[in-house]
Amino acid sequence: MSDLPMPSSQTLEPEPAQHGSTALLEWLQGWLVTVDHKRLGILYILYSIFFLLVAGAEAMLIRIQLAVPNNHFLTAQVYNRYFTMHGTTMVFLVGMPILFGFGNYIVPLQIGARDMAFPRLNALSFWLTAFGGLLLYYSFLGGSGLYGVGNAPDVGWFAYAPLTARTFSPGNATDYWALALIVSGFGTLGAAVNIIATTFSMRCRGMTLMRMPLFTWLYLVVSGLTLVTITPLTAAQFMLLIDRYLGGHFFDTQAGGSALVWVHFFWIFGHPEVYVLVLPAFAIANEIIPVFSRKAIFGYPAMVAASVGIMFVSLGVWAHHMFTVGMTSVTNAFFVLSTMLVGIPTGIKIFNWIATIWGGRVRFQVPMLFCLAFLYQFLIAGLTGIMLSVAPLDWQLHNSYFVIAHFHYVLVGAIVFCIFAGLYYWYPKATGRMMSERLGKWHFWLFVIGFHITFDTMHFLGILGMPRSIYTYQPDRGWNTLNMVISLGGFIQAIAVLIFAYNFIVSYFRGDEAGDDPWDAWTLEWTTSSPPPVYNFAEEPEVRSRRPLWDLKHPHDTDWEYEG
Amino acid sequence: MSSEEKNPHASGVKDVVALPASTIWPLVLAFGATLCFGSLVMNPGVGIAGAVMVLCALVGWVREIFPHERHEEVPVVAHATIATTVRTEVRRIELSEIQRAYLPVESYPITSGIKGGIAGGIAMIVPALIYGLIAQHSIWYAVNLLGGAGAAYWTNPTTEYIAAFHWSGLLVAAVIHTVVCLLVGLLYGAILPMWPRHPILLGGILAPVLWTGMLHSVLWFINPAFADRIAWGWFAASQLFFGIVAGMVVARTGRIQTRQPLPFALRLGIEASELMSSKKEDKN
Repeated sequence: MSDLPMPSSQTLEPEPAQHGSTALLEWLQGWLVTVDHKRLGILYILYSIFFLLVAGAEAMLIRIQLAVPNNHFLTAQVYNRYFTMHGTTMVFLVGMPILFGFGNYIVPLQIGARDMAFPRLNALSFWLTAFGGLLLYYSFLGGSGLYGVGNAPDVGWFAYAPLTARTFSPGNATDYWALALIVSGFGTLGAAVNIIATTFSMRCRGMTLMRMPLFTWLYLVVSGLTLVTITPLTAAQFMLLIDRYLGGHFFDTQAGGSALVWVHFFWIFGHPEVYVLVLPAFAIANEIIPVFSRKAIFGYPAMVAASVGIMFVSLGVWAHHMFTVGMTSVTNAFFVLSTMLVGIPTGIKIFNWIATIWGGRVRFQVPMLFCLAFLYQFLIAGLTGIMLSVAPLDWQLHNSYFVIAHFHYVLVGAIVFCIFAGLYYWYPKATGRMMSERLGKWHFWLFVIGFHITFDTMHFLGILGMPRSIYTYQPDRGWNTLNMVISLGGFIQAIAVLIFAYNFIVSYFRGDEAGDDPWDAWTLEWTTSSPPPVYNFAEEPEVRSRRPLWDLKHPHDTDWEYEG
Repeated sequence: MSSEEKNPHASGVKDVVALPASTIWPLVLAFGATLCFGSLVMNPGVGIAGAVMVLCALVGWVREIFPHERHEEVPVVAHATIATTVRTEVRRIELSEIQRAYLPVESYPITSGIKGGIAGGIAMIVPALIYGLIAQHSIWYAVNLLGGAGAAYWTNPTTEYIAAFHWSGLLVAAVIHTVVCLLVGLLYGAILPMWPRHPILLGGILAPVLWTGMLHSVLWFINPAFADRIAWGWFAASQLFFGIVAGMVVARTGRIQTRQPLPFALRLGIEASELMSSKKEDKN
């Protein structure tokens, strides 16, 4: 154990105690008016966890409905609303906000900055995202006016035309869906602009682009990708509203428009969106895997190049979601090949993560367990993705539960696992307390078991021909047992998430003291106190390598002597 | 953006830090904008309320940043922090003065994968052609099976048609075969360092068997007619030929140091004596 003096890190003096209700109001006001990137990051994360529980509950209702054939637990209409809200919530109100929450909290700390480049814009971005989500859920009350209670959007998370036309989707539920995504989309754009500006303009002395932690690098890439992808979605939402209320015909095939235009717009957003979600997950793995393997990341430049490569390739693959619409064979072939191309940079990343772990002294603590599961699951997700990129196979399996299984392998098996890893990893930094390792392992094992029971089985259900989005099925299709197994797996995952929620809350009050650097990590956020003071660093840090804290801890074996 | 000021008067306080002041206007602006959008499906009153909030928020926001951005001064109190590490000793592998050892220390060069892919690709042609001769009395049968899978206009060809020579089949098969062999060879080059003890067994036998098994299970979905014409025993044999030959070529290639800690310029083979001398000076 080496004890080395660090540059001084300072904290605020405690404020004098106040009367209970006044203190509570002041505390609440402090959160509402904050422009501090850490508080906003925490708000993003808490907001997302809340919606994770909501969308998880919707998933459970869906699974109860599908557990047995000929079930009428939910009506077809209500079932449609729940799967629409489940998908929309998980992508727009859980996945994106929680990942931008991590970015908000971590990026300025990792680059040695006091705050984001535009703190007020940062607050505006969060509140737009938050109110966008609330507007979406207000549709449960206001979808058909207050008297038409219970009419949430029911057009699927991709809302294909012509289903969204007023003829087929009367009332306002679809409008709430479009408007909510427009509002939260503006918030997302603001957050992306802020991260780009912060990364380029606020790095501390010595932090060149090639010394930035990979986490920050990937957030830079993701933010650029976000700017490119959210805009077509927002444009499409406006076009949809024009169609619905101003007599436009963008997507009205009978009036000279094209329903396919919507599909193109949506997937030009929708496929890169998967990378907008998964690259931050990679970013989290990039931090955790080296620290818990006790080795520097293998192939840093290749990891950066692969991330940038994924960004560019992901913009040219959207029509692999559209093989069944009847494109030309040349177009099909192009999108088959471009989709397979994604496998190259992604494969580089997987090999580099394995090489990082290989030969390391691995600590199997909860963040690392989630990352190890992520590695395996993302590999499987990638392989089924390659299978689906083959147009003839996609013709067979399109809109089946095989596709649902594939994208849940990506969204849950990769992204949600990394989100949990990140929460366990940075929770001590944000709160000053450790989450319970024992409960964390219960959470991990139940979640990983539930995940595989659910989504491994779902692949077979898809191959057996069960289509997505059907609210019930006949008992003679051969799907009964598999559906029951999938639902049971879902409930095991739900129990795991509840354990996590309990751990998350209780550890805040009763968790062990974390100290500044509980994981023996290497990046700048671990040089300041836990939780960090409002100004992050009393003095601007200066770095000479990619692992500044390693250099401080090992003055006779510093990275900067070797890094290029 | 923030700035710092010295505050020599505060007792025990080293300095104060000026940070952007907290403000309610972003929240008000966001809520107002949401109401404006929501009013499109609620009622005009909601929109009017939203517009008023947006206006107030914009005015309030502008007043906070013009003529000078409003800041809050936050006092800073110093306390010493100790850096600790659980790592007691680091086992060192000596490589050279300028290179630190990162595991894996050695790997196969990428060119070995390409060479392996080419060699394996040539080797696997042999069992494929033998199969064609024995089963259909034509060396073109296997070629056209592969080429026909990529030639979209071959609809329901007869066995005689597939066994005959076709330029289009040969060209398409050659392209598919070359590209796939090179890619799989590259993959071997990347995978084999991870299985250093039995590269030929694992990379040369296990991987082809898994590949054949996977194709066997999915090809019936992708192209049942194609799958029906494949003799899977012969197919597996040709895959094994490829795997073993490619694995042998890769394994016989000398390993090279991974060199990843070296400067990128050096790894590209660029003379960079200035770069290295300045690093030496830094070390001193």
